[in-house]
This record gives sequence, structure tokens and C-alpha cells, in this order.
Amino acid sequence: MEFGEPQLGERLRLGLRNLYIVPTRFGWFWLTGLLLLQVVGIQLQSNGPLLLSFLMLGLFLLALHLTHFNLQGVELASGDPQPGHAGSPLAYPLQLHCPGRCEGLRLRFGREPLGPVLALAAGEHRLNVPWTPSRRGLQRPGILRLQTTAPLGLFICWSRWEPTAPQLVYPARRAGPVRILHQSRAGDNGAPPLQDHQEGSDEWRDLLPHRPEDGSSRLAWKLVAQGRGRYAKRFSDPSDRTPLLAPDPALPLERALEHLSERICRLQAQGESYGLVLGAERIPAGHGLAQRQRTLAALARCPAEPTQP
Amino acid sequence: MALLAIGLTGLQPNLLLGAMAIGLGALTALKLWEARSLAEHRIVSLLLLVGAGLQASMRPDLGPSLLQAATIVLALAGLLALELGEGLGWQVLLRRSAQVLAAALPLALVLFLLVPRLSPFSALPSQRGSAATVGLSDSLEPGSISELVGNASPAARVTFPGGQPPAADRRYWRVLVHDRFDGVRWTGSTAPPAGANDPRAISEAAPPTAAASQLWLNEASGLAAVPWSGRGRPLSRELLADGGGELLHRGPSDQRRVYAIADDDSVNLWQRQPPGPGDLGLPRGQNPRLEALAASWAALPAPAQRLEAAHRWFRSQNFSYSARPGTLPQRAPLDAFLFERRQGFCGHYASSFTALMRAAGVPARVVSGYRGGSWVQPIGGNGYLDLRQSDAHAWSEVWLPAEGWRQVDPSLWIANGGPGPAEGRARAGATEWLQQQWWGLDIGWTRLWLGYDRQSQEALLRRLLGDHRQWLGALVLLALGLCLTAALALLSWLQRRSPGDGPRRALETALRQLARAGMAPEPGETLPAFAQRVEQRWPQLAPELRRFVALYQQHRYGPPPRPGRAGRQLKRSRRQLSRRLQRLPP
Repeated sequence: MEFGEPQLGERLRLGLRNLYIVPTRFGWFWLTGLLLLQVVGIQLQSNGPLLLSFLMLGLFLLALHLTHFNLQGVELASGDPQPGHAGSPLAYPLQLHCPGRCEGLRLRFGREPLGPVLALAAGEHRLNVPWTPSRRGLQRPGILRLQTTAPLGLFICWSRWEPTAPQLVYPARRAGPVRILHQSRAGDNGAPPLQDHQEGSDEWRDLLPHRPEDGSSRLAWKLVAQGRGRYAKRFSDPSDRTPLLAPDPALPLERALEHLSERICRLQAQGESYGLVLGAERIPAGHGLAQRQRTLAALARCPAEPTQP
Repeated sequence: MALLAIGLTGLQPNLLLGAMAIGLGALTALKLWEARSLAEHRIVSLLLLVGAGLQASMRPDLGPSLLQAATIVLALAGLLALELGEGLGWQVLLRRSAQVLAAALPLALVLFLLVPRLSPFSALPSQRGSAATVGLSDSLEPGSISELVGNASPAARVTFPGGQPPAADRRYWRVLVHDRFDGVRWTGSTAPPAGANDPRAISEAAPPTAAASQLWLNEASGLAAVPWSGRGRPLSRELLADGGGELLHRGPSDQRRVYAIADDDSVNLWQRQPPGPGDLGLPRGQNPRLEALAASWAALPAPAQRLEAAHRWFRSQNFSYSARPGTLPQRAPLDAFLFERRQGFCGHYASSFTALMRAAGVPARVVSGYRGGSWVQPIGGNGYLDLRQSDAHAWSEVWLPAEGWRQVDPSLWIANGGPGPAEGRARAGATEWLQQQWWGLDIGWTRLWLGYDRQSQEALLRRLLGDHRQWLGALVLLALGLCLTAALALLSWLQRRSPGDGPRRALETALRQLARAGMAPEPGETLPAFAQRVEQRWPQLAPELRRFVALYQQHRYGPPPRPGRAGRQLKRSRRQLSRRLQRLPP
């Protein structure tokens, strides 16, 4: 059941206006069984099937209310979403206030699979609902669906809510080439960076117009193949330098950002320092979690490549 | 599933409904075996419920009803387990299941009692089983029986309005009427009952209520005819009283049958049904001495005089009762009995007396059924008459134009009269006593359960609404609304008082009391640190407070405590702390 107007806003209180309830398929089977017992009871004038069919009808009526009461009065609010990478599951925090016991609760965003069955006691609860963003940037997880079929599975009661608090999504991590600009350690102190390269390294960090004496081994074949001109790769050894990472101009921007995202995570895990140059934005070299978050946030917020007319 | 399977035992697969129930049971077992998803397991629960309902239509007595109720509780517990997630214990699930059922039961009762019942959609087919069962036979041939073997297996139980049985000399329970005689064997001419419009049905319309009625529980007999006193009017729609005075039941004869008869002393129509030519039928020449004796009475003008002559003759002869009379010769068997052996049981006397009456020109027939029965008064519930197969008896009926068919029991004319009602039955042992108590409960349940039929409902509605039947719909809706509200309130109350986290509740209560006294924990403060702070302020609280904190931590973080005991200790400790707190100087 996907119908029902999704509610927008920071908070939502579930009630008669935004809760929907219909019998489940099992509920319809239940009514069929009830009808069968009625027919048997009437035909045989037998009290047993008649009472059982009325009992099943009583349970049906009771389940209608009990299922609705599971969600009625529940207040929802967004928590403080923590950033994460696109393409991998992110936890979107929710705060729930349950006026009474809330049973059989299941949540999901969009077309994600339904979460496990939860039974929440009355009071405040913090839940993390997984979702998988496909794009970087400030993203909203979409429509949250809360549903319950407890206690008997005869009815499904649900509501749809679109939380407005966005979650910062870093580019997905994808291993690949990045452009490395080197900066002397003095650069960390605010001095202008040195464009100093040490030849002979496996790590290329810049492209220059190709000269015949560069030979074909340094030719950036990919750019040639893309018809973007002949450029020669400039190699350098970053061992005594702090790398300044930049997107590989030979790649589409989104792909280049994904490579940077992976490289930043790797460097942070290795405890190395690094900086980031992203168009006009320049993040000086540093290390640690703060640096990682700063640089990844810059990647997440990087303006998209203008589309070709 | 096991309970459903147990409930299926005893059902007959050759009957439509029995076959349906057994098929559904098999289907449920297969579904349970292959079920993997939530939806499939739900269907298993539903099949269990429907299966229990089908069984209830065929087995309404107490034992099966308890089994069906247990099946329903377990099926609901299974549904709850599916919906509430795993991890809930069976005790919790069964308690929740019972709570939900208790909440839904008033709704069901309102509908059951007040929603007018429809008539059956079609006439019931005659359901006659073929299984052989212990009990009466549809033919009587006493000459072929050399010895009567005592059989104390149960035959029927009956309760009476007012809770008292009829006088001992009126305890004749007729079952079969044998009106055909071939010189050796007596047989009946009654065909099994047809549908609702069987032309043989002669009973008058049933009275509007079943309150003043006999309730019969007849064990499987293999016969369509069921026992009754011959008086009163059948109330159950499966019953048909035919012109011969047999009470025929349309239900399966190889299962226990339950029926009600209005207790009515008026003369029944069957007693006024004139005899046919067959009621005088007697193969001539087979028992010449019997015919000669009867011919001497035939000269008497009135049938009553011939009957009296026969009575005098039996009294004057040296007849005696014997359960081991030996077989009679094939040639002139009745002559051999009447004039030579003069020893036999009820069948011999009924058979020979009836033949004598026919030979004397008085229409007569043999009736077989039960005589007597023992009165059982269980500890709880109403008394009932317990009929066993050893109470089987045969007697005669003769047609007297002035009064119709008269019951005559020639066994009573002989010197030692044969075994009296319930004589010869062993004294009740402990097992039999327990069985009698159970039957008492069973019959009480059956009276309550089956007593509510269309007529009873009609009487109830008349009492509730009088002539304002147009308000029935509003009454049902109002009662449903009230019951629904009460059920939801009950469930909400039960949920609030559910055990939950007992130690946490004890801690929160203690913290509330300390907060009222002016000490509240700081954000992030651990329980031991807070307790230490409280101790600094009120050193006299130290023993109780330390014990409470130690117990709480042990309960919360220690090895699993013995259920119940640790919780009680913590609660007691919390109460001691509260008392000490109240005694603090202001």
C-alpha cells in the first residue's frame, strides 16, 4: 500500500488525519474463513462454528483499533543526521515519542527493505533508519514509511512522512587516480605552495603540454583518446611533501570526486596529512578526523559540472 | 497442530463434514511443513482456527470443546508471535493470547446471543454410518442366544427438568420397534430418516423454548433410532418421531448424538396410530402349542381380557429369569420355551408373549431399548441418569382399542423378575466415580451449550425487546460499541500493568522519593556516585541505600537471577529504603 499523502516537516504527530489503515491480504482470508464457519454453523444449526465465527469477527473489530492505536499519537522528529558516503547505507536518525506501547513497528525510506519489527515502550526513543543515497550533496532521504500490522496481522496501518532535515552525503568511495599537487611543509604555515616536482616517481601529479622530447611513455593517452590534446604527465615523489589532492581533470567531475573521496579516507586511515584543492576552494594540508570531514564536506558541496549545452 | 490432530480422531471420513475437517487438518500440516514466510505462517494459524470450528460443529461435548478452545488459544498465540517479533516467551504469548480472546469474547457473545439466526440453506442429508458399534441390534432372536454377556459400556445419559428422574417403574427408554416376526426372529420395518420433509414425521411443532426439556447424550450405536421415553416432543431438528414410536436421528449414527426432548406427559400421536396387518402377523403352524393356548383366549370378547388371561397364565407358570438359558431348538422354539424350559431373559418373554397376543388376535409388537439406569448426582452440576448397555431390555406393546398401544413387560410377571434397574452393576470404583463426575460436567456443559438454539434466542429477544423488535439493530450496535470500548480499556489496562522492567521501576520509584526529599541525580552521574552523595547528606540511610544499590546492580549486571526471587528482594529493599527515608528529620 503506497497511497497516502506524505507529510512534510520537521516534526509529525500521527493521528486520524495522517494514518491509513486497511485489511491485509491475510485479513481478507480471515473474513473468508469467518464466512465459511458462519455457513457451516447456519447449515448445521451448530453453536460451535457460530460462536467461533463471531469470535473471529470480534477479533477483527478489535484488531482494527489495536493496530491503529499502535501508531496513534506517536510523534516523529528528525535527529541530527551525520554525514556519510553515497552508495553505502546511511543511518538517518529519528526521535520517536510513543504515548503508549507501540508494537510491530517497521520503518523504511523509499524502496529500501523494511526494517526489523520493533516493539517500543511508552516514552522517548531514538532510532536510526537506513537509507542509501545515490548522489552526493545535501540530500533528504525521501519518504519515510512507518507501518505496523500488530497484534494479529489483520490490518496494516501506516503513515508517510518526508523529513525535511537534510543529510550531508559525501561522494561514494571509488579507488582511482587523483591529481596531486605538492605543497612544501611550509605551506602548512600559510606560505604560498611550491610547485615543485621531483621527477622519477610513480605518482604523477600534473599535466603539461607534451613536447617531443618527453617521449611517448609520458603521454597522457587517455586525454589523447578523448580528443582533449596531447599532454605529458609530470611525475614526482611525494615522500617529503604533503600532497594537495585535486580532481583528475581527465575524468568526469563526479568520478574524480569519488576517487578523491576514497583517497582521503585512505590517507586518513594511514594517518597521513593531505590538503585539497577544489577549483577555487583550497583546504590547507592537515590530518585527523576533522581534516577528513572538512575535505569530504568540501567534496560533497562541490558544485556540479555544468552540463554541456 | 497436535491438538487439532487429536480432535480429528473419531471423526468419520465418509461424511462430508468429517472429510472436510480431516482434509483441512492434513492441509494445515502440509502448510506448516512447507511454510517459510510470515504470510504462510499466518495462513497456518487461520487454518487451525477454521479446523477447530469444523470440529466444534461435530464434537460439541466438553472434552473436545476444551481441546478446540486450546487450539484456538495456541493459534492466536502463534499469530501474536509472528506479529510481535521473536524473543517473547511462550508464557507471555499465551497470556497475551488469552487477554485478546477475553477482550473479544464479549463482542462475540453479543453477536451470538442477539443476531437472529438464519434457517439452514438446505435440508440435511441423512447421515448414517456403517460402523458396527456395541449395543442394541435391529433384530431380536432370543432363541439363538445361549448366554447374555454383561456389558457395562455407556449407552446414554439423560438429564431431566427439575433435576429428578422419573419413578423407577417408568424408566423404560424405547429405541427399536420390532413388528415383523418370521417365527424365529423379530425385525423392524422402519427405514432410515429422510430429509426434513419426511412424511413419517408426526410430532407436533416444538414449543418455543427448550428450557423444560430432557437432554440426551447417546453414545454411538450404529442405529438411526435413539432412546427416549416415548413421551414428550422432540426439540432438536435432527429428530423425527415416526408412527411406530421410534425416535429417529438424522445425525451420523456412529458418533455421539445429543438431542433435546420437551418433557411432556401428554399422550403422543404414535400411541394412537392404529396397528397395521403386520402387527398380527404370525407364521401359523410353527409353534402349535402356543397357538392352541392363544386360541383358548381368543374366545374372550375384549383384547383387554385376553391380555389379562395371558397375565394370569404367566403368573401361574413356573417361569424364571436366566442369563444362560441356552439356545432354543429351530423347530417350535417358542413352544420349547413356554412349555418346557421356562427359563430365559427379557427377549424370550417379550417375544413369546407378543406371539401369544398375535395368535389370540391382539395386535402386538416387541420393543427393545433400555430399562432403569442408575441415577448419578455429581459433586457439581445436575444429576443425570446413566444408562449402560447392560440396561438393555425388551418388552411388548399391545393394541387396546380404547387406549391405543399399551406397554406390557412380561418379564415383570415371572417369579424372580430378572435383574432390576442397574442391578448387577459393580459398585462404582474410583475410576468410575471420576468418570461419573466428568460426565456430570459434560452433560452440564452440553445442556448449557446446546440449550441455546433458535427457540431460546427467540425467547430471549422477546424478553428483551417485547414487541419492539425494530430496535434490535440499534441494540446490537449499542452493545457492540460498549463491549468494544470495554475491551479496549481492558487491554490498555492489562498492558499498563504488564510486568515490564521490574528493577527499573523499583529504581525509578526510589529516585522519585529521593527527589521529593531534595536529592536528584546530576546529568551523567552514576548510581553509585549518586548514592554516595546521598549518604554524605543522610548517613543514616547508608545501610538500606547500599543494599538497594548492590541488589540493583547485581540484578542488572550480574549473572541471571532466579526468576522472581531477586525481584522480590529488590522490591523489599526499596520499601525498606522508603520507610527509612520517611523517618528522616525534616
